[in-house]
Amino acid sequence: MASSDKVPVACPASSGDGKEPMGNPTKTTTAMLDKGTAMMQSMKPIRQMSLHVCSFACYSHDPGRQIEVHIYGHRVNQDFLQCAVYDSNSSKAHLIGIEYIVSEKLFESLSPEEQKLWHSHDYEIQMALLVTPRVPELVAKPELKNLAKSYGKFWCTWQIDRGDKLPLGVPSLMVSPQDVNLGRIKPELVKKRDEEHGISTESLKPSRDGICGPEKKNLVADYWVRFRKGFALDVVETDMKRTAPFP
Amino acid sequence: MEKTVHISTKNGPKVPGEPTKTGTSMVDTAASAVQSFAPINQIHQHLCAFHFYAYDMTRQVEAHHFCGHINEDMRQCLIYDGPDANARLIGLEYIVTEKLFMTLPDDEKKLWHTHEWEVKGGFLFMPGVPEAIQRQDLEKVAKTYGKVYHFWQVDKGHDLPIGLPNIMMAVTRDGQLYPEMIKETEKHFGVSMEKERESRAYMKGPDHGIHPLANGGGKGLKLEVREVDIKPVESVPRVFV
Repeated sequence: MASSDKVPVACPASSGDGKEPMGNPTKTTTAMLDKGTAMMQSMKPIRQMSLHVCSFACYSHDPGRQIEVHIYGHRVNQDFLQCAVYDSNSSKAHLIGIEYIVSEKLFESLSPEEQKLWHSHDYEIQMALLVTPRVPELVAKPELKNLAKSYGKFWCTWQIDRGDKLPLGVPSLMVSPQDVNLGRIKPELVKKRDEEHGISTESLKPSRDGICGPEKKNLVADYWVRFRKGFALDVVETDMKRTAPFP
Repeated sequence: MEKTVHISTKNGPKVPGEPTKTGTSMVDTAASAVQSFAPINQIHQHLCAFHFYAYDMTRQVEAHHFCGHINEDMRQCLIYDGPDANARLIGLEYIVTEKLFMTLPDDEKKLWHTHEWEVKGGFLFMPGVPEAIQRQDLEKVAKTYGKVYHFWQVDKGHDLPIGLPNIMMAVTRDGQLYPEMIKETEKHFGVSMEKERESRAYMKGPDHGIHPLANGGGKGLKLEVREVDIKPVESVPRVFV
Protein backbone atom coordinates (compact mmCIF):
# COMPACT_ATOMS: atom_id res chain seq x y z
CA MET A 1 0.00 0.00 0.00
CA ALA A 2 0.93 3.61 -0.45
CA SER A 3 4.20 3.86 1.54
CA SER A 4 5.42 7.38 2.18
CA ASP A 5 8.49 6.87 0.00
CA LYS A 6 6.73 5.29 -2.96
CA VAL A 7 5.15 6.97 -5.97
CA PRO A 8 1.34 6.65 -5.91
CA VAL A 9 -0.55 4.44 -8.36
CA ALA A 10 -1.66 6.39 -11.43
CA CYS A 11 -5.01 8.06 -10.92
CA PRO A 12 -6.50 11.49 -11.65
CA ALA A 13 -5.11 12.83 -8.35
CA SER A 14 -1.56 11.67 -9.06
CA SER A 15 -1.25 13.06 -12.54
CA GLY A 16 1.48 15.33 -11.30
CA ASP A 17 0.11 18.49 -12.78
CA GLY A 18 -1.58 19.47 -9.54
CA LYS A 19 -1.92 23.19 -9.32
CA GLU A 20 -5.50 23.07 -8.11
CA PRO A 21 -6.94 20.31 -5.97
CA MET A 22 -9.74 18.37 -7.64
CA GLY A 23 -13.30 19.54 -7.09
CA ASN A 24 -15.73 22.31 -7.93
CA PRO A 25 -15.40 25.86 -6.61
CA THR A 26 -17.16 26.46 -3.30
CA LYS A 27 -20.79 27.43 -3.85
CA THR A 28 -21.98 30.75 -2.49
CA THR A 29 -24.69 28.96 -0.48
CA THR A 30 -22.04 26.76 1.15
CA ALA A 31 -19.85 29.73 2.00
CA MET A 32 -22.78 31.62 3.49
CA LEU A 33 -23.90 28.65 5.59
CA ASP A 34 -20.31 28.25 6.80
CA LYS A 35 -19.98 31.89 7.78
CA GLY A 36 -23.37 31.85 9.49
CA THR A 37 -22.62 28.81 11.63
CA ALA A 38 -19.09 30.03 12.40
CA MET A 39 -20.62 33.00 14.20
CA MET A 40 -22.40 30.62 16.57
CA GLN A 41 -19.30 28.60 17.43
CA SER A 42 -16.44 29.59 19.65
CA MET A 43 -13.43 28.11 17.77
CA LYS A 44 -11.25 28.57 20.86
CA PRO A 45 -8.41 26.16 19.94
CA ILE A 46 -7.89 27.87 16.61
CA ARG A 47 -7.79 31.32 18.22
CA GLN A 48 -4.71 30.23 20.18
CA MET A 49 -2.57 30.24 17.07
CA SER A 50 -0.55 33.40 17.29
CA LEU A 51 2.63 32.80 15.34
CA HIS A 52 3.27 32.45 11.62
CA VAL A 53 6.69 31.46 10.35
CA CYS A 54 7.78 30.60 6.84
CA SER A 55 10.61 28.16 6.27
CA PHE A 56 11.64 25.07 4.31
CA ALA A 57 11.46 21.34 4.99
CA CYS A 58 12.82 18.23 3.30
CA TYR A 59 11.46 14.68 2.99
CA SER A 60 13.35 12.45 5.40
CA HIS A 61 13.51 9.59 2.87
CA ASP A 62 14.73 12.00 0.13
CA PRO A 63 16.09 15.27 1.51
CA GLY A 64 16.75 16.52 -2.01
CA ARG A 65 12.97 17.04 -2.24
CA GLN A 66 12.44 20.34 -0.51
CA ILE A 67 9.30 22.39 0.11
CA GLU A 68 8.38 25.83 1.35
CA VAL A 69 6.24 25.64 4.48
CA HIS A 70 4.04 28.05 6.35
CA ILE A 71 3.72 27.14 9.98
CA TYR A 72 0.93 28.48 12.16
CA GLY A 73 1.75 27.81 15.78
CA HIS A 74 0.13 27.89 19.19
CA ARG A 75 2.72 28.37 21.91
CA VAL A 76 1.22 26.15 24.63
CA ASN A 77 3.97 27.02 27.13
CA GLN A 78 7.64 28.00 27.20
CA ASP A 79 8.63 24.48 26.13
CA PHE A 80 6.01 23.41 23.60
CA LEU A 81 4.30 24.56 20.41
CA GLN A 82 1.69 22.75 18.35
CA CYS A 83 1.46 23.87 14.75
CA ALA A 84 -0.56 23.45 11.57
CA VAL A 85 1.57 23.42 8.42
CA TYR A 86 0.38 24.81 5.07
CA ASP A 87 1.99 25.15 1.65
CA SER A 88 1.33 28.88 1.44
CA ASN A 89 -0.09 31.75 3.47
CA SER A 90 -3.03 32.43 1.19
CA SER A 91 -6.70 31.63 1.68
CA LYS A 92 -6.23 28.81 -0.84
CA ALA A 93 -3.47 27.15 1.18
CA HIS A 94 -3.46 23.37 1.53
CA LEU A 95 -3.11 21.84 4.99
CA ILE A 96 -0.07 19.63 4.43
CA GLY A 97 0.76 18.46 7.93
CA ILE A 98 1.37 19.07 11.60
CA GLU A 99 4.56 19.99 13.44
CA TYR A 100 5.26 19.82 17.13
CA ILE A 101 8.11 21.87 18.60
CA VAL A 102 9.75 21.17 21.97
CA SER A 103 12.46 22.88 24.00
CA GLU A 104 15.85 21.30 24.48
CA LYS A 105 14.80 20.37 28.02
CA LEU A 106 11.72 18.42 26.87
CA PHE A 107 13.61 16.90 23.96
CA GLU A 108 16.28 15.43 26.21
CA SER A 109 13.51 13.64 28.16
CA LEU A 110 12.53 11.62 25.05
CA SER A 111 13.88 8.14 24.34
CA PRO A 112 16.59 7.81 21.66
CA GLU A 113 14.11 5.87 19.49
CA GLU A 114 11.78 8.83 19.60
CA GLN A 115 14.54 11.43 19.19
CA LYS A 116 15.45 9.92 15.79
CA LEU A 117 12.18 11.28 14.42
CA TRP A 118 12.95 14.88 15.39
CA HIS A 119 14.99 17.64 13.76
CA SER A 120 16.87 20.72 14.99
CA HIS A 121 16.03 24.31 14.00
CA ASP A 122 19.25 26.24 14.56
CA TYR A 123 20.65 26.11 11.01
CA GLU A 124 17.50 27.35 9.29
CA ILE A 125 17.18 30.21 11.76
CA GLN A 126 20.84 31.21 11.59
CA MET A 127 20.67 31.22 7.79
CA ALA A 128 17.42 33.24 7.84
CA LEU A 129 15.67 30.47 5.90
CA LEU A 130 13.06 30.67 8.62
CA VAL A 131 11.41 34.07 8.60
CA THR A 132 8.55 35.74 10.46
CA PRO A 133 6.58 37.52 7.71
CA ARG A 134 5.62 41.10 8.51
CA VAL A 135 7.20 40.97 11.97
CA PRO A 136 10.40 43.03 12.25
CA GLU A 137 13.53 41.10 13.23
CA LEU A 138 13.93 43.07 16.43
CA VAL A 139 10.47 42.09 17.61
CA ALA A 140 10.88 38.48 16.47
CA LYS A 141 14.30 37.99 18.08
CA PRO A 142 13.24 36.56 21.46
CA GLU A 143 11.05 33.97 19.78
CA LEU A 144 13.75 33.17 17.20
CA LYS A 145 16.29 32.66 19.98
CA ASN A 146 13.89 30.28 21.67
CA LEU A 147 13.12 28.36 18.47
CA ALA A 148 16.81 28.07 17.56
CA LYS A 149 17.33 25.86 20.61
CA SER A 150 14.23 23.74 19.92
CA TYR A 151 13.54 20.48 18.10
CA GLY A 152 10.63 19.71 15.81
CA LYS A 153 8.69 16.70 14.57
CA PHE A 154 6.84 17.26 11.30
CA TRP A 155 4.56 14.75 9.57
CA CYS A 156 3.57 15.75 6.04
CA THR A 157 0.24 14.30 4.88
CA TRP A 158 -0.07 15.82 1.39
CA GLN A 159 2.80 15.62 -1.11
CA ILE A 160 1.77 18.71 -3.04
CA ASP A 161 5.26 19.21 -4.42
CA ARG A 162 4.99 16.06 -6.54
CA GLY A 163 1.72 17.32 -7.97
CA ASP A 164 -0.77 15.30 -5.90
CA LYS A 165 -4.21 16.87 -6.27
CA LEU A 166 -5.54 14.94 -3.29
CA PRO A 167 -3.69 13.81 -0.17
CA LEU A 168 -2.49 10.35 -1.24
CA GLY A 169 -0.63 7.73 0.73
CA VAL A 170 0.56 7.80 4.30
CA PRO A 171 2.37 10.56 6.21
CA SER A 172 5.99 11.37 5.41
CA LEU A 173 8.43 12.26 8.13
CA MET A 174 10.07 15.56 7.29
CA VAL A 175 13.48 16.94 8.26
CA SER A 176 14.91 20.42 8.50
CA PRO A 177 17.47 22.24 6.35
CA GLN A 178 20.99 21.31 7.42
CA ASP A 179 24.46 22.46 6.53
CA VAL A 180 25.24 19.36 4.45
CA ASN A 181 24.93 18.48 0.79
CA LEU A 182 21.26 17.54 0.46
CA GLY A 183 20.18 19.71 3.38
CA ARG A 184 21.03 23.06 1.82
CA ILE A 185 17.94 24.62 0.33
CA LYS A 186 17.99 25.09 -3.46
CA PRO A 187 18.60 28.76 -4.31
CA GLU A 188 15.64 28.87 -6.70
CA LEU A 189 13.27 27.87 -3.87
CA VAL A 190 14.61 30.59 -1.62
CA LYS A 191 14.43 33.13 -4.44
CA LYS A 192 10.80 32.25 -5.17
CA ARG A 193 9.90 32.56 -1.49
CA ASP A 194 11.73 35.86 -1.14
CA GLU A 195 10.07 37.36 -4.20
CA GLU A 196 6.59 36.33 -3.10
CA HIS A 197 7.04 37.85 0.33
CA GLY A 198 9.12 40.87 -0.56
CA ILE A 199 12.02 39.86 1.64
CA SER A 200 15.71 39.07 1.21
CA THR A 201 16.99 36.03 3.08
CA GLU A 202 20.55 37.16 2.41
CA SER A 203 20.09 40.56 4.00
CA LEU A 204 18.31 39.08 7.03
CA LYS A 205 21.28 36.85 7.88
CA PRO A 206 23.34 39.46 9.75
CA SER A 207 20.49 40.05 12.19
CA ARG A 208 20.70 36.35 13.12
CA ASP A 209 24.29 36.70 14.34
CA GLY A 210 24.62 35.55 17.89
CA ILE A 211 21.59 33.29 17.77
CA CYS A 212 22.77 29.98 19.19
CA GLY A 213 21.55 26.44 18.82
CA PRO A 214 20.94 24.01 21.69
CA GLU A 215 23.36 24.12 24.65
CA LYS A 216 24.37 20.57 23.83
CA LYS A 217 23.53 19.49 20.28
CA ASN A 218 21.78 16.14 20.39
CA LEU A 219 23.50 13.51 18.24
CA VAL A 220 20.38 11.41 17.61
CA ALA A 221 18.21 14.21 16.18
CA ASP A 222 18.76 14.95 12.48
CA TYR A 223 19.46 11.22 12.25
CA TRP A 224 19.93 11.29 8.48
CA VAL A 225 22.87 13.68 8.64
CA ARG A 226 25.02 11.33 10.64
CA PHE A 227 23.71 7.97 9.45
CA ARG A 228 22.54 8.74 5.88
CA LYS A 229 19.25 7.00 6.60
CA GLY A 230 15.77 8.44 6.42
CA PHE A 231 12.47 7.03 7.62
CA ALA A 232 9.52 5.87 5.55
CA LEU A 233 6.13 4.67 6.75
CA ASP A 234 4.31 1.60 5.45
CA VAL A 235 0.69 0.54 6.01
CA VAL A 236 0.21 -3.03 7.13
CA GLU A 237 -3.05 -4.91 7.31
CA THR A 238 -3.72 -6.55 10.62
CA ASP A 239 -6.58 -7.87 12.68
CA MET A 240 -8.63 -5.11 14.24
CA LYS A 241 -9.32 -5.46 17.95
CA ARG A 242 -13.09 -4.92 18.10
CA THR A 243 -16.01 -4.31 20.44
CA ALA A 244 -18.48 -4.99 17.62
CA PRO A 245 -18.45 -5.98 13.93
CA PHE A 246 -16.66 -3.55 11.58
CA PRO A 247 -17.62 -2.05 9.25
CA MET B 1 -15.19 -9.37 20.59
CA GLU B 2 -13.26 -7.45 23.24
CA LYS B 3 -15.18 -6.06 26.18
CA THR B 4 -13.32 -3.11 27.59
CA VAL B 5 -13.99 0.07 29.47
CA HIS B 6 -13.64 3.52 27.97
CA ILE B 7 -10.97 5.67 29.59
CA SER B 8 -11.97 9.30 29.44
CA THR B 9 -9.24 11.71 28.36
CA LYS B 10 -11.08 14.71 29.78
CA ASN B 11 -8.59 15.17 32.60
CA GLY B 12 -5.66 13.98 30.56
CA PRO B 13 -2.02 14.74 31.30
CA LYS B 14 -0.95 18.37 31.07
CA VAL B 15 1.69 19.22 28.47
CA PRO B 16 4.95 19.48 30.41
CA GLY B 17 6.80 22.79 30.42
CA GLU B 18 7.21 26.18 32.04
CA PRO B 19 4.53 28.84 31.62
CA THR B 20 5.23 31.08 28.65
CA LYS B 21 7.63 33.89 29.57
CA THR B 22 6.47 37.45 29.05
CA GLY B 23 9.27 38.12 26.58
CA THR B 24 8.13 35.32 24.32
CA SER B 25 4.43 35.92 24.61
CA MET B 26 4.73 39.65 23.91
CA VAL B 27 6.33 38.76 20.64
CA ASP B 28 3.48 36.44 19.87
CA THR B 29 0.92 39.14 20.60
CA ALA B 30 2.76 41.63 18.40
CA ALA B 31 3.02 38.98 15.73
CA SER B 32 -0.61 38.05 15.60
CA ALA B 33 -1.61 41.69 15.21
CA VAL B 34 0.30 42.15 11.97
CA GLN B 35 0.64 38.72 10.42
CA SER B 36 -1.66 37.20 7.88
CA PHE B 37 -3.49 34.14 9.13
CA ALA B 38 -5.40 33.56 5.91
CA PRO B 39 -5.20 29.74 5.99
CA ILE B 40 -6.47 29.65 9.58
CA ASN B 41 -9.18 32.20 8.79
CA GLN B 42 -10.66 29.72 6.32
CA ILE B 43 -11.61 27.48 9.23
CA HIS B 44 -15.32 28.11 9.67
CA GLN B 45 -16.76 25.05 11.29
CA HIS B 46 -16.40 23.06 14.50
CA LEU B 47 -17.57 19.44 14.39
CA CYS B 48 -17.48 17.03 17.31
CA ALA B 49 -17.25 13.30 16.59
CA PHE B 50 -15.49 10.13 17.73
CA HIS B 51 -12.55 8.27 16.24
CA PHE B 52 -11.03 4.91 17.02
CA TYR B 53 -7.67 3.45 16.01
CA ALA B 54 -7.77 1.60 12.69
CA TYR B 55 -6.30 -1.50 14.35
CA ASP B 56 -8.04 -1.16 17.72
CA MET B 57 -11.69 -0.21 18.07
CA THR B 58 -11.40 -0.46 21.86
CA ARG B 59 -9.37 2.77 21.91
CA GLN B 60 -11.80 5.60 21.24
CA VAL B 61 -11.39 9.37 21.47
CA GLU B 62 -13.66 12.37 21.20
CA ALA B 63 -12.36 14.35 18.22
CA HIS B 64 -13.02 18.04 17.70
CA HIS B 65 -12.67 18.98 14.04
CA PHE B 66 -12.05 22.54 12.94
CA CYS B 67 -12.75 22.56 9.22
CA GLY B 68 -12.53 24.75 6.19
CA HIS B 69 -13.57 24.21 2.59
CA ILE B 70 -10.80 23.92 0.01
CA ASN B 71 -13.61 23.80 -2.54
CA GLU B 72 -17.15 22.45 -2.78
CA ASP B 73 -15.87 18.85 -2.87
CA MET B 74 -13.17 18.94 -0.23
CA ARG B 75 -12.57 20.09 3.35
CA GLN B 76 -9.46 20.05 5.49
CA CYS B 77 -9.69 19.88 9.27
CA LEU B 78 -7.45 20.26 12.29
CA ILE B 79 -8.35 17.84 15.07
CA TYR B 80 -8.15 18.68 18.76
CA ASP B 81 -8.99 16.58 21.81
CA GLY B 82 -11.37 19.21 23.18
CA PRO B 83 -13.21 22.45 22.36
CA ASP B 84 -11.34 24.73 24.74
CA ALA B 85 -8.27 26.97 24.59
CA ASN B 86 -6.13 24.30 26.27
CA ALA B 87 -7.06 21.59 23.77
CA ARG B 88 -4.25 19.54 22.27
CA LEU B 89 -3.76 19.42 18.49
CA ILE B 90 -3.85 15.67 17.94
CA GLY B 91 -4.41 15.16 14.24
CA LEU B 92 -5.97 16.18 10.97
CA GLU B 93 -8.65 14.99 8.57
CA TYR B 94 -9.43 15.46 4.91
CA ILE B 95 -13.05 15.10 3.79
CA VAL B 96 -14.02 14.50 0.15
CA THR B 97 -17.24 13.95 -1.75
CA GLU B 98 -18.02 10.55 -3.26
CA LYS B 99 -17.09 12.00 -6.66
CA LEU B 100 -13.48 12.56 -5.60
CA PHE B 101 -13.28 9.38 -3.53
CA MET B 102 -14.18 7.22 -6.53
CA THR B 103 -11.13 8.51 -8.43
CA LEU B 104 -8.75 7.08 -5.82
CA PRO B 105 -6.75 3.89 -6.45
CA ASP B 106 -8.02 0.81 -4.56
CA ASP B 107 -5.19 0.79 -2.03
CA GLU B 108 -5.79 4.44 -1.24
CA LYS B 109 -9.54 3.89 -0.71
CA LYS B 110 -8.77 1.62 2.25
CA LEU B 111 -7.27 4.52 4.19
CA TRP B 112 -10.56 6.42 4.06
CA HIS B 113 -13.73 5.95 6.12
CA THR B 114 -17.40 6.69 5.57
CA HIS B 115 -19.40 9.30 7.47
CA GLU B 116 -22.88 7.97 6.83
CA TRP B 117 -23.51 6.36 10.21
CA GLU B 118 -21.57 8.97 12.15
CA VAL B 119 -24.02 11.55 10.83
CA LYS B 120 -27.25 9.57 10.62
CA GLY B 121 -26.62 8.00 14.03
CA GLY B 122 -26.36 11.45 15.57
CA PHE B 123 -22.76 10.93 16.76
CA LEU B 124 -21.34 13.82 14.75
CA PHE B 125 -22.60 17.30 15.58
CA MET B 126 -21.74 20.99 15.45
CA PRO B 127 -21.55 22.40 19.00
CA GLY B 128 -23.47 25.63 19.42
CA VAL B 129 -25.46 25.38 16.18
CA PRO B 130 -29.23 24.71 16.21
CA GLU B 131 -29.97 21.23 14.92
CA ALA B 132 -32.07 22.37 11.98
CA ILE B 133 -29.20 24.50 10.68
CA GLN B 134 -26.63 21.79 11.34
CA ARG B 135 -28.60 19.40 9.19
CA GLN B 136 -28.27 21.64 6.13
CA ASP B 137 -24.57 20.87 6.07
CA LEU B 138 -24.51 17.48 7.75
CA GLU B 139 -26.75 15.97 5.08
CA LYS B 140 -23.84 16.67 2.72
CA VAL B 141 -21.27 15.28 5.16
CA ALA B 142 -23.24 12.00 5.37
CA LYS B 143 -22.30 11.33 1.76
CA THR B 144 -18.59 12.02 2.16
CA TYR B 145 -15.47 10.01 2.95
CA GLY B 146 -12.74 11.06 5.37
CA LYS B 147 -9.05 10.30 5.91
CA VAL B 148 -7.82 10.85 9.46
CA TYR B 149 -4.42 10.69 11.06
CA HIS B 150 -3.80 11.19 14.76
CA PHE B 151 -0.27 12.02 15.87
CA TRP B 152 -0.77 12.18 19.65
CA GLN B 153 -2.04 9.22 21.65
CA VAL B 154 -3.76 11.17 24.39
CA ASP B 155 -5.84 8.12 25.26
CA LYS B 156 -2.63 6.39 26.34
CA GLY B 157 -1.83 9.27 28.67
CA HIS B 158 1.09 10.49 26.58
CA ASP B 159 1.99 13.99 27.67
CA LEU B 160 3.90 14.60 24.43
CA PRO B 161 3.16 13.48 20.84
CA ILE B 162 5.54 10.52 20.70
CA GLY B 163 5.54 7.61 18.29
CA LEU B 164 4.20 7.15 14.80
CA PRO B 165 1.03 8.52 13.25
CA ASN B 166 -2.10 6.40 13.49
CA ILE B 167 -4.78 5.95 10.86
CA MET B 168 -8.17 6.35 12.53
CA MET B 169 -11.61 5.09 11.69
CA ALA B 170 -15.15 6.18 12.57
CA VAL B 171 -18.34 4.53 13.76
CA THR B 172 -20.18 2.51 11.14
CA ARG B 173 -22.87 0.77 13.22
CA ASP B 174 -24.42 0.75 16.69
CA GLY B 175 -22.62 -1.15 19.40
CA GLN B 176 -19.14 0.08 18.46
CA LEU B 177 -18.92 3.19 20.64
CA TYR B 178 -18.79 3.13 24.44
CA PRO B 179 -22.15 4.27 25.87
CA GLU B 180 -20.42 6.02 28.79
CA MET B 181 -18.28 8.06 26.36
CA ILE B 182 -21.35 9.11 24.40
CA LYS B 183 -23.23 10.05 27.58
CA GLU B 184 -20.31 12.18 28.77
CA THR B 185 -20.27 14.09 25.47
CA GLU B 186 -24.04 14.51 25.39
CA LYS B 187 -24.00 15.91 28.92
CA HIS B 188 -21.13 18.27 28.21
CA PHE B 189 -22.69 19.75 25.09
CA GLY B 190 -26.33 19.49 26.05
CA VAL B 191 -27.27 17.31 23.09
CA SER B 192 -29.30 14.15 22.66
CA MET B 193 -27.94 11.93 19.92
CA GLU B 194 -30.91 9.60 20.07
CA LYS B 195 -33.31 12.46 19.50
CA GLU B 196 -31.22 13.92 16.69
CA ARG B 197 -31.04 10.51 15.02
CA GLU B 198 -34.79 10.65 14.41
CA SER B 199 -34.49 14.03 12.71
CA ARG B 200 -31.67 12.75 10.51
CA ALA B 201 -33.49 9.61 9.34
CA TYR B 202 -34.17 11.28 5.97
CA MET B 203 -30.47 11.67 5.18
CA LYS B 204 -28.74 9.44 2.67
CA GLY B 205 -25.21 8.09 2.47
CA PRO B 206 -23.08 7.93 -0.68
CA ASP B 207 -25.14 7.59 -3.89
CA HIS B 208 -23.33 4.39 -4.83
CA GLY B 209 -23.50 2.97 -1.33
CA ILE B 210 -20.59 2.55 1.04
CA HIS B 211 -17.62 1.43 -1.01
CA PRO B 212 -16.44 -2.03 0.09
CA LEU B 213 -12.80 -0.95 0.10
CA ALA B 214 -13.38 2.01 2.43
CA ASN B 215 -13.03 1.61 6.19
CA GLY B 216 -9.85 -0.38 5.81
CA GLY B 217 -11.63 -2.79 3.49
CA GLY B 218 -12.78 -4.46 6.70
CA LYS B 219 -9.22 -5.05 7.92
CA GLY B 220 -7.28 -3.33 10.66
CA LEU B 221 -4.56 -0.93 9.47
CA LYS B 222 -1.35 0.02 11.23
CA LEU B 223 1.62 2.20 10.26
CA GLU B 224 5.15 0.89 10.62
CA VAL B 225 8.44 2.69 10.18
CA ARG B 226 11.31 1.55 7.99
CA GLU B 227 14.81 2.99 7.64
CA VAL B 228 15.77 3.86 4.07
CA ASP B 229 19.14 4.61 2.56
CA ILE B 230 19.39 8.15 1.37
CA LYS B 231 20.54 8.28 -2.22
CA PRO B 232 24.02 9.74 -2.39
CA VAL B 233 24.50 12.88 -4.40
CA GLU B 234 27.55 13.42 -6.53
CA SER B 235 29.38 16.19 -4.81
CA VAL B 236 31.77 16.69 -7.73
CA PRO B 237 30.08 17.92 -10.90
CA ARG B 238 30.65 15.72 -13.92
CA VAL B 239 32.70 17.33 -16.57
CA PHE B 240 31.97 16.64 -20.21
CA VAL B 241 34.89 16.99 -22.55
